[in-house]
This record gives sequence, C-alpha cells and structure tokens, in this order.
Amino acid sequence: MSSITFLETQKDEYSILEEWLKAREFIYVGSEVKRIDALEKVLGKAKYVEDFLVDGLAYARIVKSNIPHGVLVSVKPGRAVEHPDYIALVTSSDIPGMNQVGYYIPDQPALAEKKVRFHGEPIALIVASRPRSTEELRELVEVEIKPLEAVFDPLEALKDEVLVHEEHGSNIVLKTRVRKGDALKALQESDYVIENTYRTGYQEHAYLETEGALAIPIDGGMTIILPGQYPHLAQSIISRVLGVPQSKIRVIQPVIGGGFGGKDDMMPIVGAQAAIAAYKVRRPVLLTYTREDSFTSHCKRDPAYIRYRSGASKDGKLTVVDVDIVFDAGAYANRGPFTLWRATVHSTGPYEVPNVDARGILVYTNKVYQGSFRGFGNPQIQFAAERQMDELAEKIGLDPLEFRLKNILRPGSRTSTDQLLEDSVGVGEALARVAEKCNWFEKRKNYGKIVDGKAKGIGLACAWHGISTSRGVPDWCNAYINVAKDGSVTVFTGIVEIGQGTHTGLAQIAAEALGIPLEKINLVGGLTDAPDTGATHGSRGLSLGGTAILIAATKIKKRVQRVASRILECSPEEVELRNGWVYNRSRPEKRITWEEAVKRCYAEGEDMAATGYFYMPKGRFDEDKGRGFAYIVFSYMVVAVEVEVDVETGLTKIIRVWPAICAGRIINPKLAITQIHGAIIQGIGYTLMEEVKLEDGRILNPNFTDYLIPTIADLPEIEEPIFVEDYFRFGPFGAKGLAEMALIPIPAAITNAIKHAVGVKPSEIPYTSEKLFKELSKRWQG
Amino acid sequence: MIPRIEYYRFGTLNEALRFLRNNPDSKIIAGGTDLIIQLRSKKVEARKILDISRVSELRYVREESEYVKIGALTTIEELKNSGVIKVYAQPLWRAVNNFAVWQVRNTATIGGNICNASPAADTVPPLIVLEAKLKLQNIERVREVKVEEFFKGPGETIIEKDEILTEVVIPKKDSSWRYSFIKLGKRHSHILSIVSVAAGLKIDDNKIEDIIIALGSVAPTPVRAKSVEEYLRKRQATSKLIEEASGEVVKDIKPISDVRASAEYRIEMSKVLVRRALNECLKAYSHGIKSG
Ligand SMILES: Cc1cc2nc3c(=O)[nH]c(=O)nc-3n(C[C@H](O)[C@H](O)[C@H](O)COP(=O)(O)OP(=O)(O)OC[C@H]3O[C@@H](n4cnc5c(N)ncnc54)[C@H](O)[C@@H]3O)c2cc1C
Repeated sequence: MSSITFLETQKDEYSILEEWLKAREFIYVGSEVKRIDALEKVLGKAKYVEDFLVDGLAYARIVKSNIPHGVLVSVKPGRAVEHPDYIALVTSSDIPGMNQVGYYIPDQPALAEKKVRFHGEPIALIVASRPRSTEELRELVEVEIKPLEAVFDPLEALKDEVLVHEEHGSNIVLKTRVRKGDALKALQESDYVIENTYRTGYQEHAYLETEGALAIPIDGGMTIILPGQYPHLAQSIISRVLGVPQSKIRVIQPVIGGGFGGKDDMMPIVGAQAAIAAYKVRRPVLLTYTREDSFTSHCKRDPAYIRYRSGASKDGKLTVVDVDIVFDAGAYANRGPFTLWRATVHSTGPYEVPNVDARGILVYTNKVYQGSFRGFGNPQIQFAAERQMDELAEKIGLDPLEFRLKNILRPGSRTSTDQLLEDSVGVGEALARVAEKCNWFEKRKNYGKIVDGKAKGIGLACAWHGISTSRGVPDWCNAYINVAKDGSVTVFTGIVEIGQGTHTGLAQIAAEALGIPLEKINLVGGLTDAPDTGATHGSRGLSLGGTAILIAATKIKKRVQRVASRILECSPEEVELRNGWVYNRSRPEKRITWEEAVKRCYAEGEDMAATGYFYMPKGRFDEDKGRGFAYIVFSYMVVAVEVEVDVETGLTKIIRVWPAICAGRIINPKLAITQIHGAIIQGIGYTLMEEVKLEDGRILNPNFTDYLIPTIADLPEIEEPIFVEDYFRFGPFGAKGLAEMALIPIPAAITNAIKHAVGVKPSEIPYTSEKLFKELSKRWQG
Repeated sequence: MIPRIEYYRFGTLNEALRFLRNNPDSKIIAGGTDLIIQLRSKKVEARKILDISRVSELRYVREESEYVKIGALTTIEELKNSGVIKVYAQPLWRAVNNFAVWQVRNTATIGGNICNASPAADTVPPLIVLEAKLKLQNIERVREVKVEEFFKGPGETIIEKDEILTEVVIPKKDSSWRYSFIKLGKRHSHILSIVSVAAGLKIDDNKIEDIIIALGSVAPTPVRAKSVEEYLRKRQATSKLIEEASGEVVKDIKPISDVRASAEYRIEMSKVLVRRALNECLKAYSHGIKSG
C-alpha cells in the first residue's frame, strides 16, 4: 500500500545507520552529561539578540493596524519627522524585492500593502536613533485605513460573504481528506456510534524573549542576527524580500529565549522586516517587538472546531472514525495547510480503525494568524479523539484503559491512511505500564466522589505524532565536521539550540561516533554557514540533526580506522575508537592517541573534513484516494493525570502526572525529562487557563495580567517518565522525536480526569474554572 | 509608551507635601507597580511625577498599646515578614501572603495598594474588617477616615490633590475575634482576585456578638456585606444559618463581567467564599485559635 522509496545514492548512509543501530555499549549516548550551554547561561554571559551592540545602530518598532479589515489608504510619518531622533518611516514601498513572506501560500506581505487583514498587522516600521523614542514616534505616525466589514468566526467565514483575500475568491484556503474503508456504511452498521463537537482556542507561545532581529548591511548583502528556528528559511525569505541572492544573506543565531515553534514562523518575517529597514536607512537596525506587539501580531496555536463521530462493536473494537475539522487560519495561511493535514491524519488517535473519513477545512478570518506551536495541529485533534474514546468506552460499558488496549496500534498495524507500521510502535507497552504505575483500576474505583467539597479523578490519554515532514514533502539533514590538526573537532549543524538542549545531545552523538571526549567537540549551530539541516521543529532537531552528524562522524572514523590499521597491524574494522584512544580490538595494548591518529591522517592523505547529508526516505500519499504513506515513523506518548476539582468554584488542581514516551533511543535522559516537564506545564496552561480574549478581532488581554500561564503553584508532581525505547532505523542510534510529545495528550487526559471526578463532559478548552462551574451548576439544577 | 514627564523626588514628608501643594497636577508614585502600568497604557496621564519612595519616615510597622500603625510606604513584603501584623492583623497577613510575586512585593507598598483604589486590592477587605483608619495629611493638617469611606469608585478616592496617605491605623481588638481571608483567582497563585472575602467574627457562647465582612472585586469599590452581617448578628452560629446568610451577600454586591470573570460567576463565588470565610472563623473558635 505504502511502500517507501530508497535512494541508490544513499546506500552508504543507510548502512552506517544500520551499523550503529546494532551498537549496545555506549559512553555518551544515554548518559546525563551536563549541558554544554549551562555555564554561560548561568553566568549571564550568553548573548541574546539585544546584547549585540554595533556601531551606528538604529532602533525600530512595528506600526500596527488598529482595524481588523480595511483598505490601507495612506501611511505618513506626520509629526514624527519633527522629532530629533526620527530616522525613517519604512513602508511596503521601500521594499526592494518582493513584499512576500508567505510560507507555503504566497498570501502574506512583510508590511501591509493595499489592505490590512487583522488588528495588529504590521503596516510600517518606525526607525529612530534611540530605543525609547521608537515608542513615542510610532504613535505619531498617521495611518489612514478605510474599514471594511470583517469576519471573525470561521464557520461564518465559510459563507464567503466577506472575503479576507479577494484574489483567492473564497475564505477556504484549502481542504484535506483522509479516507479508508467505508465510513458511511460502518456508521450505519456499528453497534455503538456517538457524535460530539469539540472546540479549542488560540494558544500564545508566551516565550520569555519576544521577537527581535538585528540586520547589518554588508557589501551588497545583509547579515541578520535573529533568534529563529531555521536559519536557511530566514535566509531564503530575506533574500526574496531584498532581491539579493541567498549567498549574500548571512543569518546568525544568537542565544534564544524560547521558541516553541513561534519563532520558526516569526523570525523569517521579523528578520525580513529588520532587513528592509536596514536597507532603507543604510545602517544596522535592531527591530524588537514589545510584549504587547508579540501578543497582538505574532502567530498562535490554531483554534479548531471539530465534529467527531466514531463507532465501535459490542466487543469493544473501533469500527469507524468520521470527522470534520475546521481550522481557523486567521488572516494568513502560514503553516495552516500543514497543521491541518497533520490533524487530519492523526484524527483517529493511535488506534486501529478500519473505516476512516476525515475531512479538514482551513478558513481565513480577520484575526491574528495561526502558526507552528509544539504539537503542530495535533493537540487539537488528540483532544477530540481521546475525549471521544472515553465517551465511547462509557457507552459500551468498558473501562477506558481496556477499550484503548483493545485498539491500540502495534507493530504490524495499519494507520488511518492505511500505512503499515512495521516497527517502532511501543505505545501498547507504554499504555500498560502507565496504567500499572498509576494504580489505574483502584483509582478509577475509589475516585469520583465528593468529599468535603472536593472530588478526585484520574484520566488517561494517548497520542501519536508523525516525525519528519509528511507525505512526499522532502526532508533532509546535513552536517559538516572538521577535525583540526590537534584533534579538536568542530561540528557545524543548521539545528538551533532553542533552549531544549539539543546541541548537547548532538555533541554527545559526535563524541560517541568518534570515540573522543565530549570536551573535544565544538558544536557550532544554527547559522547559514552550516549546511542546510532543515528546521528545528517537529521534534526533529536531535533526531535528524543527529543522523547527519552521525553519518559525517562515521565517515571520518572510517578514515581514521584505515590509517590506524597500518600502525596497529590489524584490519580497519578491528580498529576501535574509544575515550580518545585508537586501538587494536584484539590487542588493546597496541594503541595510539586520537591526536596521533589525526596527525597521521593529515600526513597520509586522508580528508579530515566530511559532510553527513541524509535524505529521509519517502513514500507516496494518494491525495485523490486519501490514502498512503503519511510519515516515516511516529513517536507515541501516554499520560495518566490525577486531578482534584473544587466543586464549589470549579477550580481544578492537577495532583500528579504519569508520563510514558516512545521516542526510540533516549540520547540524554535529563534532556528528555526537562522536555517532558516543559511540555506538560504548557499543556496544563492550554487545557485550563490560557485564553486569548477577542472583541471584534482585537485581543483584549495582550499581557500576562490577564493571559494566564501556569505558575509553580499550579504544577503537579510529575512522575519519573517511562521510556519505551522503540528504535527507529533512520534515527541516530534509533532516536525518534520527543520535544512536542508530552503536550499532545494532556488536554484530553486532564479533561478525562475531570469527567471522572465530577461527571461533566468537557468538549472545549481552555476548560476554565468558570466553565466547569457552569457545567456543574447545570447538572445540579437539571 | 510613557509620555515625557517631569520627575521630582524628595526625602522628607514635609518637602513632598510642600511640593504637592504647589503642584496639584502631579501624580504620586510609591512602588510604581500600578502606576507605571497605567501610564504605559494611558489609563492615567501625568505631566509631573512626585516620587515619595525615599520618604523613609513613612516606612514602619509600629505596635502601640491600642494600635498597630503602618507607614504608607511599608512594602507588602515587609508586612509579610512582620510578626506584629501576623498577630494583630491576621486577615491582612493572610492577604499579603498570597499577594503577587516576591519581586513585586518588594516594591509594592500598602499605601499604593489602597490609593490605587482597585476593587481588587487585596489589602482593603482585611483593613475594613479590622476597622482600620487612614491618615491623610497635607502641609497644614492631618485627617483620619475609615477605610471603607475612602473609596468612591474604581481608581477614585476622597483624597485631595494636596494630600498624601501617611499611615494606616489598626485598632487592637479584644482577643475573642476570629478572622479569615480567602481569595479566588483563575489559577493557584500570582493572580488578581475574581472575588476576595475577609471576615471577622466575635462569638460569645456560640452566639454571634459582632461580625464584619468585606469583599473585593465584586463592586466598583471594596464593599461591606452588611446584609449578611445583619442576618447573623446576635444569632446562634450554626452551619445552616451561615449557609442561609451567605446567600444574602447578593444584596451587597454589584459585580461586572470582564476578561477575568462574568458577573454571574462572581455572584456565585461571593456566596461560596462568604460561607467558607465564616466557617473558617467558626473553626478557629472550635480549635481554640486566638487571633490576638
Ligand atoms: C505582577 C503584579 C502582580 C500584582 N499582584 C497583586 C495582588 O496579588 N494583589 C493586589 O492587591 N495587587 C496586586 N498588584 C497591584 C499592585 O502591586 C499593588 O496594588 C501595589 O500595592 C501598589 O503599590 P505601589 O506602591 O506599587 O503603588 P504605585 O503604583 O506607586 O501607586 C498606585 C497609586 O496610588 C497612589 N499612591 C501611592 N502611594 C500613595 C500615598 N502614600 N498617598 C497617596 N497616593 C498614593 C499613586 O499616585 C497611584 O495612583 C500586582 C501588580 C503587579 C504588577
């Protein structure tokens, strides 16, 4: 059904990965080495974008639309020109290249032109010689907008009465579909069928550091320092906007104050804006977004409307999933086509379902646009899918755990798109182990009663998440390794350290492959001087980035083995590299140091530099039939969550979380745990309190006073994670992706636990205390 | 963006008062944790700022024979760490323990919390219940007002343009009073209240001799729950009676809907919190916990 195409040109790479997959003993892989960036961060020496001081620096801020939809009549500096610090007002007419920063669909300008499509849309840039004057100056700019009728509700927008993009002819950006079996028939014939509607809201990334970029004009090109997630993407977008070849655009990654996907989307755009300003004023420009700018003008997690029908047979086997998914794109398509596709494929949850019909629609509205956010379209649909599993289990009269175990994906299962999963499917084991560890059956029996105005509950949810790009969308990685004459090693990767610790994991992989101490590795990452490694998103940084480094390092290792074998009097295969020694495996006393071996390589004509290009094997997805290859592999997550609900106020306290993850080989357990913790916390916020309040497209709470994220007092005990190491053959040592995983099942797990505690049926997140209270009052009155 | 403003700072109360008299258009800044935000968002406009944060003579907690006196510039963190407050102003102490974050508490002052006149100011319901008074001073005189008479509406008080709040005076009450303070927010800490309730009960032989209840965030100003008080005064304290009485609170409050909560939710939560606050006071009796 869904065979994978292997490339003849990549045969060596496949065999390198296969070889390492068999390795059983490691020095660095699987160990909790200290983060290589810890010290500089603790000492305050880490340099963020605002810490780079350049001569002649000018400062910029965005000038925004205060109208959700309208015709842009004029933008003039007005009285700003009288200010002593005024340098320039930069508008779309100053753009030397194309005014186009759209990601997949070319629908988005760097600075609004002719029209504005959301409240907060950047229209111009004000440039001043002193940072604080930018604030004052931008208020003096005169913007004239002729308001048009606006549309905010995606279901309303489907009627196409108001068009967000006239040239597109409809508010429907695109549709997606996955089909398998005969869903209609199965709906009619199943013993049990239930239907529910689910809604999810925007989520703000709320990173500590807001967006900012420093653009420095340099002979015929531009150097841009920006905290992004994909330097080469920023390079290509900035090159398009400036009309300058990509090779003239150099992107450098400073230390970043949090990304979570938002900076993947935003930094090419903000970088382009800074570059346009620097081009116009011919001096370096630092553009920064205030916290309020970040709230009003940067992309957020896509709000979703999901109608979900599913069925099962008397013996508890899932028979059908039939689902409509509407994703609110906001004013621009951005990543919506991909988040929606991901949601469509993952709509069954990690279960075997013989009949599937999942239909997705992406709709424009006059609101801030959606974008990448940890989970990428998947948390919304797993919320619906996993809430639905609990409802269906109740209908059949089965325990939710038992119902899941009957249907869970296992090696040999076929997915929603009919793709065969041959291996690396550990979710069944993870589910069983979580249930045992949390004492599932006992708590299900004992909880769910009100004691002193409080009720406890326990809930479960699973998630699956395709790794790498979907379908045939190309995905590759690369790395460049250079061994200096003294044996020290520089590793160049395009993968960005966004606080997740990936550079430490990548250095571990290089040290492991070369058999040298970690301290010998200098990891240089996240800049366009490194080969294009793809984005640091989709849980791919350590996995794909690591694969490339493993391949490059292994090429060098083989050359060292070849040279050393002549000295150590053995075959190259018998030469072992370990702990900085190069030795004969059968006679370990015959050995030379790594440094000596490197010196001999230089003397004897071996190349001490190598790249590690790898192209992820792909299959074909038949868009017409809605079936076929979706993802090369999936990571899996299971969580059990225990809650306590204050039934008089609706305030929910998360008591404890039991996580289990199937992400293949764990390269560094400490890093894995911190990612799991961070994702759980972000998931708790998404589920219980984070709510963007809008009125006519305007965000009413663009601040942390009223956009609430969890504090330390809202956090539960998080149990030691269970790692089910279901190796992936194209990952380094079998590693898959991890960083997004723990967030994805949290909304369903929490709301399932709330249902268990007090019997309500949450169908909407954020499920705030007030919403829960209203549900409870309705029940008690009714 | 904060517009350009003139900034003045004095080290003594006298200089500050004289300046105020001559510059009635200036705005006082203490810790600035409210004012800076209001200036940025243009909720407050000011051309002149008078910084009183260095007037150290207004920074103290003093215990006298009949009163506890708090200088207006005492920070919330100082109140939190004060043994005197813990003993003689229990509901206030509870409030400052659940107030903002350490960094904010270190700058935020009690005077600022009161004069900002937010319906959600956490120190105010406890001060009402403690029957505290405020000392308002101008260059010529000092006057004293009851806390609950100080507020006119959100951000509005009876303070004159030339006056500074200098001191909060809390009478020491007899040890048969029991107090409580409860705050409900949308998460478990670091949160502005949706509803807050302070209560004080004086019971003799299971009979409610006296009672004061005050709520925050449910009306344009912090309010007394007089209907609840009247319902309970001079009656035998039973949990059934308290349950009934708590419902009366709807007569005393006038909540609005905003981004934090709907009016309906605030009404329901007021009932719940009043009941809980009163029950806590009763519990303190049965456990023999004294408040002073
Ligand atoms: C992150 C954060 C969390 C917060 N959490 C809480 C909370 O949990 N509970 C809560 O109640 N509040 C909270 N606040 C609000 C604020 O911190 C308090 O209201 C604080 O007590 C204000 O004191 P200040 O000294 O900073 O006042 P300022 O901002 O300096 O002044 C506030 C107002 O009072 C006036 N003023 C100040 N002192 C005097 C005086 N002596 N005489 C006359 N007028 C005066 C000023 O002119 C101004 O109008 C929070 C604020 C922030 C930023």
